[in-house]
Formats: sequence, C-alpha cells, structure tokens
Amino acid sequence: MGIITIIWEKWVEFRRDFYKITLAAMVAPLMYLLVFGLGIQTMSHGEPYLNFLIPGVVALTSMNGSFNAIAQNLNVQRLYEKALDQVMISPTPLWQFIVGQIIGGSLRGMYAGCVILALTMPIGTGLVFNGWSFLILFLNGAVFSSVGVVVSFVAKNHADVPRFSNYIIMPMAYLCNTFFSVERIPRGLREVVSMLPLSQTSSMIRSIACKDQGSLRGIWILVLYLAVFTAASMTFIYKKKNL
Amino acid sequence: MIEIRNLTKQFGDFTAVDGLNLRIETGEFFGLLGPNGAGKTTTIGMLSTLLLPTTGEIRIDGELLTRKRTDIKRKLSVITQEYSMRQDMNMDEIMEYQGRLYYMPLKQIRQKSEKLLEFCDLIDYRKRSVRKLSGGMKRKLMVCRALLTDPEILLLDEPTAGMDAISRRQMWNLLHKLNEEKLTIVLTTHYMEEAQSLCGRVALMNHGKLQETDTPAGLIEKLGAFTVDERNADGVVSHHFHNRQEAIAFLEKTSGKTALRDTTLEDVFLTAGNKN
Repeated sequence: MGIITIIWEKWVEFRRDFYKITLAAMVAPLMYLLVFGLGIQTMSHGEPYLNFLIPGVVALTSMNGSFNAIAQNLNVQRLYEKALDQVMISPTPLWQFIVGQIIGGSLRGMYAGCVILALTMPIGTGLVFNGWSFLILFLNGAVFSSVGVVVSFVAKNHADVPRFSNYIIMPMAYLCNTFFSVERIPRGLREVVSMLPLSQTSSMIRSIACKDQGSLRGIWILVLYLAVFTAASMTFIYKKKNL
Repeated sequence: MIEIRNLTKQFGDFTAVDGLNLRIETGEFFGLLGPNGAGKTTTIGMLSTLLLPTTGEIRIDGELLTRKRTDIKRKLSVITQEYSMRQDMNMDEIMEYQGRLYYMPLKQIRQKSEKLLEFCDLIDYRKRSVRKLSGGMKRKLMVCRALLTDPEILLLDEPTAGMDAISRRQMWNLLHKLNEEKLTIVLTTHYMEEAQSLCGRVALMNHGKLQETDTPAGLIEKLGAFTVDERNADGVVSHHFHNRQEAIAFLEKTSGKTALRDTTLEDVFLTAGNKN
C-alpha cells in the first residue's frame, strides 16, 4: 500500500512535468545517435555502427532517467522542502517508501528508454527488443534508482548531487559498453568496467537486439547491485540519527 | 500518555537536549518554552522520530517509540516549524498524499479534505501549488494536513509563526476546540501569550535542560502575581510581588516612571532567562 502511494506521488510528478521529462530524456541520446550513428557513419563487426549504438544509448538513457528522477528530487525533498519529514513521521513503513522510490524511478528510466526506442523505430534497424529487454531495462533502472536514493541521503546539499553524477554516472555513460565494446579497454581496467551495471545492461540488451547467443547471467549481477544499494538505503533511512 | 525518560540528543560535541524527563498526560495541552537553542525543536524532532535520541527513550501509551513502530506513529501528527511540503503539489494533492501515507480510503480523504479546507478558508485555492501560497496559507494547510488523519497526539512546533493576528486567533480557537475533544497537544512557541492562553501546563527549557514544569498560573504565582515596571536610564526593570499591597508600597517609594500590572508568563520566561 505504501509502495502504491509513492508510485502515485511519482505519477503526479510525471503527469505535471510530462513535456519537460520527455524532452529532457530525448535531447542527449538523440545527439549521440545523430553524431555517432548518422553523422559519423562507420561499421562495427560488419554491421552499421548504429546497430551497436542504439541498444547502448537505450541502456544509458534508462540509467540517466532513473538516477535523475530520484537523486535530485529526493535530495530537494530531504534538505530544502523538508517534505521527507512527513513520510518519516507517517505510519507508512520506510522500507515501502524506499521500494516505491526504486520502482517509480525505474519506471521513469524505462519510459525514457522507450522514448528513444520509439524515435529510432523509423530507421528500420531490424534490432529486436522483447520482454527480456524490458526486464533488463527495469532492473537497470532499479539499480540506478537505488543509487539515486543513496546519493540523495549522502549529499549534504543541493549542489552535491551533480557532483556525484559527474563521478558515477558520467564515466559509466562513456565507458560501459555504450559507444564502444569493453573489449577495447586495457586489461585490468576492462575487468572492472565490464562488471559495472551499465556494461552488463548494454551487453545483454545488445545481445538480444542483435539476436546473439549472449548469456543473461548479467541479470544476477544487476540483482546483486540492487540488493546492495537497497540495503544501503534502508540502513540510511532507519539508522541515520539526523536524516 | 507520553513519557520521556533521560532523553539526550547530541550533535557532535553539542548537547541539544540533556537528560530530559517529562510525562504528558492524555488530553493535556502542554507547552515547551525556552529561548532559541533551548532544545524545544530537537525534542519535537525526537517525539516525531525525525531525530533519533543519543540516549534515553520515549514511550507513547507505554510503548517504545521507534521509526519502525508504525502503529504508534499512526497516533501522531506533526506541524513542523518549516513548511514541510512538496512545493510543486497543489493543496488537493498535498492532502491526498498525506491521507494515502496514513492508509485512509480515497473517499474519506476527499470528504475530509474538503471539510478542513473549507473550515480554514482555503477551499478556493485548492488547485494552487504550494509554491504560490502565502506563508499564512501554508501554515493553515499544514494544520489541515495534520488534522486529516485524526491523530491522538498533535505535535506543534511554532505553529503560528508568520501568521497575522486574525489567523493566529483562529488557530488558537481551533487548537482550544481540539483539546476540548481530548486531543493531546504538545506545543512549542515563542509567543508567551499563546502559551498562557492555551496550555494547561508548560515546561521551561534552557540549554537543553528542563528547568521547571507547572501550570502557567503556578509559575506566575511562584514569581509573584503583581509586577511593577520601573523605567530608568537602562530601560525597563520589572519587580515582582506576591500581593498588591507590597507592589503599591514599592510604587510609592519610587520616584521614576512606574506602572503596576499583572505578571504574565513572559515575565516568568524573562526571569528564568536572566537567571541563566
């Protein structure tokens, strides 16, 4: 019930800012697709580069959509609006609040990813997106929503959130299997980068899109990340003495 | 009933509340008074579980209050000092969100919201976002939100701050009426007139410690029910007396500008402050 309340709150926000949210989700990914996909027309593994790029950009967009839907918003609610106080005081169990935020954020990320899919559909790439792709996108969004919750609790002021974004989100956006394969990263760093959640998501979505026989074991890695960050969020909300 | 036992809250080296012991009976209108930094808001923060105590405990009707005790939290409503609301939501959405957080059925939320907003003269602004409301309207909305959930205990942290005189009087009348209906109210305020008019009992706090607890009349009686204000070069000096004859005798002896009046809770507050 508490989870539904939080998803309702996210829905109210989404309904009110529909155009802003949709436009914000489109701009950067469209630029990537135009510049790297259509502007610089290259081939990758005998396929148009666009076919490599689209799954990565969809994964990247869902990551950004989810993280941005939660981190900044929740931080403002906690430190400036103090709206989080009313949730803390209310009888809604705080774990339900966290789960609601994660699901709500994940749905926002999926929405952003779907906008990109809809925009690239007319290109006719022949890429496949099925139920598994959406499950992976949902999990990816959930992971980055939970990261967003942790960041919103850790950030000491409003300006801290973009800093965390610079350190966590931006490097992942460029390195994690989005614009080029992690295989091209030097050994040592490659192993680390390939274990990051966005690398796993891009890799699995690309495998499905290109009808490759790729493994879906990355799902378990995403679940593990989700469990770790959710546990961290729960610890903050239940144990932090001065939230 | 609220029982506070050895409650201490530290922020690093600073002790905001220091070994507080209090017992507030069901249906009581209780005031927490003290200068800025006395620890009143921190106490309300712990009573509402926003802050966790460093040591000590709070019991509501004999049950230990923690963030996990949703059954106890259901009994509480809080009006915080700051406007703790989503600024981008409108009044209807604020009320619905609150009702949903307290598991109220939608139909009940809508009916009760309408009544409360009507009562507080906010009904015409129900679709206006919080960001566009005046300070007084935001305060009233916070009251509506707090009352929506039929609490047993209402915690008020300076509820009339920023309100004009008329709105403040309306609020006093409302709080008085709610208390008559057996709602337990804990209030912090800077307005001594407010505490004297509303509270059945008050606690004076300073530097995180409880100094005295009594009825406003009891505290005034202890200080002296009659006050003579003497104006001299340093400003106004107040002298307190237990009976009128003593006060009049003092008046006759002094040559400067003087005035005799009843002692108020503000005098008690100022005297306690000066002692520290």
